Amino acid sequence: MSGQASGPAPTATLGAPVTRRRREFLPTVFKFQSLFGLVLVFAAAVVYSPTKNGQVLFLDSGNLFNVVRSISEIGILAVGMTLVILIGGIDLSVGSVLGLASVGSASLLVDNGFGVVPVVLIVLAIGLGFGVVQGVAIATFGIQAFIVTLAGMQIARGLARIFSGGQAIAITYGDGPGQAPVVFSLLGERTFGGLVPIPALIFIAVAAVAVVLLRVTSFSRHVYAIGGNEKAARLSGVPVMRVKIVVFGICGLLAALAGIVHAGQLNFGGPNDGTGYELDAIAAVVIGGTSLSGGRGSVAGTVAGALLVGVLRNILALRNIDSNIQLLIIGLVIVLAAGLQQFRPASVS
Amino acid sequence: MAACAVLAAGTACGTTHENSGASTGQPVAARTCHGPTGHYTIGMSQANVAEPYRQRMNDDIRKAAAAVPQFTVNFADAAQDNAKQVDQVTTFVTQQIDLLIISPNEATPLTAVVKQAYDKGIPVLVLDRKVDGDAYTEFIGADNVDIGRQAGQYFANVLLPQGGKIAELRGLAGSTPAKERSDGFDQGIAGHNIQIVAAQDGDWLQDKGEQQADAILKANPDIQAIYSQNDPMAEGARIAAANAGRPDLPITGIDGLPIEAGGIKAVQAGRISATFVYPTGGKEAIDAAEKLLLDCQTVPKTQTLSTQLVTKDNAAQVYDALNRG
Repeated sequence: MSGQASGPAPTATLGAPVTRRRREFLPTVFKFQSLFGLVLVFAAAVVYSPTKNGQVLFLDSGNLFNVVRSISEIGILAVGMTLVILIGGIDLSVGSVLGLASVGSASLLVDNGFGVVPVVLIVLAIGLGFGVVQGVAIATFGIQAFIVTLAGMQIARGLARIFSGGQAIAITYGDGPGQAPVVFSLLGERTFGGLVPIPALIFIAVAAVAVVLLRVTSFSRHVYAIGGNEKAARLSGVPVMRVKIVVFGICGLLAALAGIVHAGQLNFGGPNDGTGYELDAIAAVVIGGTSLSGGRGSVAGTVAGALLVGVLRNILALRNIDSNIQLLIIGLVIVLAAGLQQFRPASVS
Repeated sequence: MAACAVLAAGTACGTTHENSGASTGQPVAARTCHGPTGHYTIGMSQANVAEPYRQRMNDDIRKAAAAVPQFTVNFADAAQDNAKQVDQVTTFVTQQIDLLIISPNEATPLTAVVKQAYDKGIPVLVLDRKVDGDAYTEFIGADNVDIGRQAGQYFANVLLPQGGKIAELRGLAGSTPAKERSDGFDQGIAGHNIQIVAAQDGDWLQDKGEQQADAILKANPDIQAIYSQNDPMAEGARIAAANAGRPDLPITGIDGLPIEAGGIKAVQAGRISATFVYPTGGKEAIDAAEKLLLDCQTVPKTQTLSTQLVTKDNAAQVYDALNRG
């Protein structure tokens, strides 16, 4: 149990003088394996990047921000997924909830003439509610999260199709009827001199909040405790049910947020949007070093994991590697990351 | 943390050609043309290679480009994901490609990124499915309404000149080609006393087409022909018809892919009565690229590809012609 005990306060394991006979290098590598992996992949990308007129294309600032933008939706999903996996759960519904939120946003804006603020609030509430219902089913009826969210995945996709009549909705901007307020198109824009994509900022903000949440609050201790040993956590007074419901609620909320970002980036809401995204999110979490059996891992690792996949995809595309080979390589990276976890000392949270 | 590292590296490396190169609304054809002595990289962004039609489009492009030594074509597959296709186009722009060919998964989500490429002076050839607006160099594609109309006329003039009852197998509900192939067909049969007594969605798929045709034949045993909006559904309908004891029921398809598993071979084997070729435009795209890049010429904004009726009489001939390229 030392694993989850040190979870919420990792500094105690790493830097503090009270610990530890073991040399500190190895645990650090394992704890931040995806960060080290990211640095390695990044360095490899710089070396292998094609150049044009002496310019390293990978390092082009536009390209680097494209990488962050390209993973921002998966990244937002993966932050919620990290919490769920930390309590030993899984959420297969996030891709479908993203689709529901995406087509829901488009429909409310275009067909129903709602303003941006009500749309965002309504859609976020739908995502939150969806997650909470799943959390309640899991926590109170004791059904496995895999089953509940597998059902949730079908239900959210079905709702998205029913809601939209099976039709994708294109978003046009303006003041007229059937047009969305122009401010919504900001999600597809870049700021700071046209460089930093807004979705990337949203992703970074979400990740930052989650990192803080998992460092300084009692919620954090509960999450790691449930993932480490649910029975022990319950016996020691952790409100297991409540925490589970909150965690699945947050995951659903973030999936809806990602869906809003999706619709804003593409000016489009499609009922089939986000198909398979749950697996990309899980991949980012696993590469980020979070254990699928719960109790060990971090949001920072997930962020690095998502970026690692983004950089890898980008450099493979820049080098014109065949898309099927790309799938193989990403798959191998997931196996490698999960394999490394097997060698992880038990003391590393 | 990790994100900041990337952000910092991004701002540190500075040289952004994003701001320097963008000039909106300029005529673009000449910008990347360096004549026949140049070497050119072409980016081909495909919506979903898992569909045989789109695989064939890539093959047509690959084959045509192989005959042009100045061209290198990079292929990307979006696997039916709009967001992924957007990323791929931005990556192509980073690679500073000389020409973009794109077959969009959907029109609206790809419009902005295609416009970005176009505004940077990269000629853009749009295949099969359009983007919104006019920020592209040329659209190359067939006219689905016209193909549907020709199919309707084939029913009116050849299959059922006396009129009669038929069924329609439609593509995926909500997809543009499904609507257009329906509308065109209705125009083609108008005034010829042909009645569509049953119309069901087969989602472009063979097994779904078979299921729907099964049900249709049970409910309407008196239909005299089936119009299927693509070949795989027509193949499914043939199985259903055989099971219903109607092996000779006339069934037509659309697409006519010149591959072993495609509609032309099915017509030749007698499983489909007739099909209409839906050309990929792959070869035409490379022809247009030659005009733009090697000859520094301009191309028309729209190139509509014509279809071709395939029956048992000309199937072998059409198959060979399309594969000769």
